[in-house]
Amino acid sequence: MWLRRLATDRIARASLAPADTPLIIVAPIKSALRITALNDAAARLRLKPGLALADARAMYPSLAVEHADPDADQRLLDAIADWCDRYTPLVGLAPPDGLAFDITGCAHLFGGERAFCRDLVTRLAAQGFATHVAAADTLGCAFAAAHFGDAEVCLVPPDEMRAMLAPLPLAALRLAPEIVDALAQVGLKYIGDVLERPRAPFAARFGVEFIRRIDQALGHEDEPIKPRLPVPTALVERRFADPIALEADVLGTIDQLARDLDRLLERRGEGARLLQVALFRADGAVHRIELGTSAPVRDPARVRRLFADRLAVLGDSCDPGFGFDMLRLSALVTERLDPSQTSFATPDQNAELAHLIDRLGARFGLRRVTRLVPLDTHIPEFTVAAVPAHAPRSPASGEGMPAYDSLVTARPIRLFDHPEHIDAIAEVPDGPPVRFRWRHVLHEVARSEGPERIAMEWWRDEHGNVLTRDYFRVESRQGTRAWLYREGLFGRETAQPRWFLHGLFA
Amino acid sequence: MQPVRAEALEELRHQVAQIEASVPTLAGAGHSVRLGIPAIDTALGGGLPVAAVHELAPALPIHSGAAQGFAVALAAQSRGSVLWIETDFTRMENGAPYGPGLALSGLALDRLVLLTVPRSIDVLWAMEEALRSRAVTTVIGEVPNDHTLDDGPATRRLSLTARDSGGFGLLLRQRPSPAASAAATRWQVAAAPGAQDQFGGLGRTTFVLSLTKNRHGPCGHWLIAWDHHDRVFQEALSVSVAEAARDRPDRARLARTG
Repeated sequence: MWLRRLATDRIARASLAPADTPLIIVAPIKSALRITALNDAAARLRLKPGLALADARAMYPSLAVEHADPDADQRLLDAIADWCDRYTPLVGLAPPDGLAFDITGCAHLFGGERAFCRDLVTRLAAQGFATHVAAADTLGCAFAAAHFGDAEVCLVPPDEMRAMLAPLPLAALRLAPEIVDALAQVGLKYIGDVLERPRAPFAARFGVEFIRRIDQALGHEDEPIKPRLPVPTALVERRFADPIALEADVLGTIDQLARDLDRLLERRGEGARLLQVALFRADGAVHRIELGTSAPVRDPARVRRLFADRLAVLGDSCDPGFGFDMLRLSALVTERLDPSQTSFATPDQNAELAHLIDRLGARFGLRRVTRLVPLDTHIPEFTVAAVPAHAPRSPASGEGMPAYDSLVTARPIRLFDHPEHIDAIAEVPDGPPVRFRWRHVLHEVARSEGPERIAMEWWRDEHGNVLTRDYFRVESRQGTRAWLYREGLFGRETAQPRWFLHGLFA
Repeated sequence: MQPVRAEALEELRHQVAQIEASVPTLAGAGHSVRLGIPAIDTALGGGLPVAAVHELAPALPIHSGAAQGFAVALAAQSRGSVLWIETDFTRMENGAPYGPGLALSGLALDRLVLLTVPRSIDVLWAMEEALRSRAVTTVIGEVPNDHTLDDGPATRRLSLTARDSGGFGLLLRQRPSPAASAAATRWQVAAAPGAQDQFGGLGRTTFVLSLTKNRHGPCGHWLIAWDHHDRVFQEALSVSVAEAARDRPDRARLARTG
């Protein structure tokens, strides 16, 4: 599909000027402002891209002129591609102003290829975009037909590709401009001129790229469409003649879709690890809600619950506007899920826990649901790592903490992410503290244990200036137990050791 | 699985359980967590009931470590998984639950799932969902010191959910609240100076427990100690009591009458 007048349509959509006002878009090229795009009215005035703005102004002083904004064009193209997702999940960008669809197996849903293309052109025209759509067996051929064919809709049957391509200029093959120029210099202007000639001299003179483009257009060489978004392994969708806006309706639809998806995945013996609901708003905006799960899921009730939780959080950020006219549920990542027998006596603990983690993750974000996994280091803050609970457990983490006995040093039950600086006084520079002030409260130390000297791992710090810590377990006169440390060995590493409170004991 | 079938299955499970004369909860409704101290267990009518929500609060902010230690000790006694819910604020204020320390207190890391939520109202939502799901037996919810819990329905909802599902809910406040609560019991926990151990170091952790609300019996005030090695509660004799006896004024104050 080619959006013929993307840049000018973008501005015309936002302006109130009549559609037949000549409009040109200019950008600085070769040290002059030159026309890069123009609308139909301007084209009728025989203006052409590449013409300097000064010349154009001299010819038509009343021209409307805008500066080029490639980023805005790109964003608009993305939005259109989003909207086009309703036709096929496999939409690719063909910058700067084209889109490529893989419509294999889905054109019949719209009443055949012609009706499909016609529908696309009409709907986009209603939104104010002039488009040329071509359907062909190869991307190259469709590109040529859309850009250089005369009709808005152009269908190229497989056996007519050669005939269709022959009269088109060589630029239709998506060649670099300098190759087109070089070919023109030797008198080759149309694709038909090169199709019948021997290929080897062309390859030698103009590069393999040239030959490859010809092969791609004719289907001798495969050219896949690069999808913009990951292509789901399974998807189900519902379209509505009348857009729906109520949350209950959306959830009801997700419920139905989840049942369809369940049947689809059950046949394959798979469950979804990553689910996405795409809500296509009637005015073209698309909301996508993604959900990861800790174990493969296909139970419709669970899928529905997960999205219900997610929607509850999204709230207003998922604005229905004038309603959604299509919902699509897709499984982006799937894994093998063998049917298991449900026990009659007790519910399956692990499955229940996985589902709870998924639900909490759906509401608060999966990064907020964690498990603690021991690591092989003696630095207190790194001894355990919080890993997302939905991640599959590695074999090492199954061991849990090593068995604790009375010989193991005590550790606090709470640890501050950032050790809190305290003012502490010790009788001797490297002795235990006798009193300390934490959060404006003075604590008299009644009893203390330590020091437990923990040297930092020198390889963690590239400058090597990591200070050793002397940890003390102290109990205040009120009975509060805290884990303090002095940073830096007195006299050897620092002259002024600082004290920190790192954790609290029960 | 169809929802209808899930309900039917649940119903059948219930029937099977009734035939077997046990209620199908993981922790077991009607079960209770015993503290192992006869005086307290008697006051509680046999132990802390499991299918209920209990409120714990440090008597003073500096005793937050003690209150959390008490909660961990209770959670460690139940079987099954534990969900610990904290907010971003309490995490910053009190630190994060520290794995090795929890493991030392008897709460193995593979039983623990941590959840950090942005707002205190989310704690209640997550706690209710977790209690209802039966995937975890114990839920510890840390609530910051705001007025989230001060409306009665919040705790009542949690209590009803816990009663129906048999979950053990522990609400950990940051300070005692005068507001009414539907929790089965409310505790104020404070640390007390403990005796030194035989090597001159820190001995058993001593708690002053105040039971300020008890739906099934009298309230009370106890001094107990937690033995880290055997992981049991024991009765303790307060050092401060002994000191007070030694240092007390020679004449006891007259009790006022009338």
